[in-house]
Amino acid sequence: MEKSEPKKFVVPIGPQHPALKEPGHFEFEVDGEIVTGATARFGYVHRGIEKGAETRSWIQAMYLLERVCGICSHVHATAFALGAEKLAKVTVPPRAQAIRVLVGELERLHSHMLWLGVAVHEAGFDTLFMYSWRDREIVMDLLEGLTGNRVNYSANVLGGVKIDVDDKQRDDILKGLEVLEQRAQYYLKVVTTDETFLGRTRGIGTMTYEQAELLGAVGPTGRASGVKRDVRVEAPYAAYPDFPVNLITDTRGDLEARFVVRIKELFEAIRIIREILDKMPTGEIQTKMPRRVPEGETISRVEAPRGELLYYIRSAGGDKPDRVKVRTPSLCNWGSVLTTAVGHKLADMPMILSGIDPCFSCNDRAAIIRRPDQPAQAWDWESLRLHGIEYYKR
Amino acid sequence: MKIGALLGDVFRSLFKPPATERYPVEKKPAPMRLRGKLVYDSSKCTGCQLCAKDCPCDAIEIITIDRAAKRFIMRYRVDRCTFCAQCVESCRFGCLDLSNEEWELASVQKDPFTLTFGSEADLEAFLAKTTGAQPEAETKP
Repeated sequence: MEKSEPKKFVVPIGPQHPALKEPGHFEFEVDGEIVTGATARFGYVHRGIEKGAETRSWIQAMYLLERVCGICSHVHATAFALGAEKLAKVTVPPRAQAIRVLVGELERLHSHMLWLGVAVHEAGFDTLFMYSWRDREIVMDLLEGLTGNRVNYSANVLGGVKIDVDDKQRDDILKGLEVLEQRAQYYLKVVTTDETFLGRTRGIGTMTYEQAELLGAVGPTGRASGVKRDVRVEAPYAAYPDFPVNLITDTRGDLEARFVVRIKELFEAIRIIREILDKMPTGEIQTKMPRRVPEGETISRVEAPRGELLYYIRSAGGDKPDRVKVRTPSLCNWGSVLTTAVGHKLADMPMILSGIDPCFSCNDRAAIIRRPDQPAQAWDWESLRLHGIEYYKR
Repeated sequence: MKIGALLGDVFRSLFKPPATERYPVEKKPAPMRLRGKLVYDSSKCTGCQLCAKDCPCDAIEIITIDRAAKRFIMRYRVDRCTFCAQCVESCRFGCLDLSNEEWELASVQKDPFTLTFGSEADLEAFLAKTTGAQPEAETKP
């Protein structure tokens, strides 16, 4: 019998419900049970938010951009507000900046606890999933009491914040944080000592420091590989210059390290919130913001729970933004998933996928990869339109 | 975890009250700042339209009955509202507020989602206008 070349066997996962309940398509080439190659495809929930922002006033655009992501909504609004205020040369009162950071850190608590639940659920550890989501209710209730909404808090307004922190809320938050701190200690103990769970995380999806730098990993994913990068530390914004953040890194780079880094960030967030409540600046919480923003362009960087979030904002001097470009952290981290997946078992894929804390709605942005052997390409509006027409002809 | 500790957990759970709440029967009081349905005080309104202009989801419409006498009514679309409270911020006369009591807004029909606020006389005038000879005059600011 003639011996034929072994064909590649591809396991498609998604677009419906790949590990998480959001759309994304992955193709894993497998040799037996071992993954030998991985590709990803996104764009299933493209909502045209960036273009939509151009047709809305500065105030309305902030609320639209807040809805890029439902989990880290506050950082999106903060990034846009900081950029627009920089363009309009408006100085926001320090109390407003402190409240922005306070809500941002509460949001980080809730986002990391949500991720912890999802990630351990992927590992089949549903008890910890229930625990962490039960305890997440505490921080959700705190956010509801503070801002009035459980998600999409709309705490920001251009030129400040809407909400002030009074003594009752301060006491509520401090009381809630005490419980959360104890729970976080418990999570840290479980994810570093539970043998069955360590079997799913230790040495899985290891990304070295060099790989992380090469692939441009951001946020806790990068920090778990020893990348010392955090916008709150290297380019402090809002009230972070007054309330410095300690960088949390790990050197192991595997899934366990990502768990440890994120849980340690819970402690750090709790520490910052306590410090802010202790030394809350006094004064106004809002300043007047003009409806027309002077011509100019700016870049606004903030640290979202998933990593660096970048906003490019351009104004033509009107009452609407001329261009808003969002670069979300999840988009930067996919390279690390596709690279570290190789060599692991197919059964580890959901864990590796959820290990970067992916946010699929963050992914639906246009990204152009420039390869060294190809000339740089500039896309203007007309060529993008033609590309779209050609793309859908197929 | 030892088996003994596990059994202890099981027995303790037998005598614990349920963690769930009997929601429609017993209601938890809403937090002070909860953002529920919009409340409009037409007596303070000057008809500046800033709330309608700033609303990110086009949920507010201020209808002028008589500009000179400062009579306005507001048509509010609860189904469009995202409860961001921008209108409350934009209003310089404090006629808008988000209620923390009325937050159970679900409905199986579409009609209850369109609410019209204002004094009774103004609402009657508005209804007379809309059902009268010139229906297109209703939304002219």
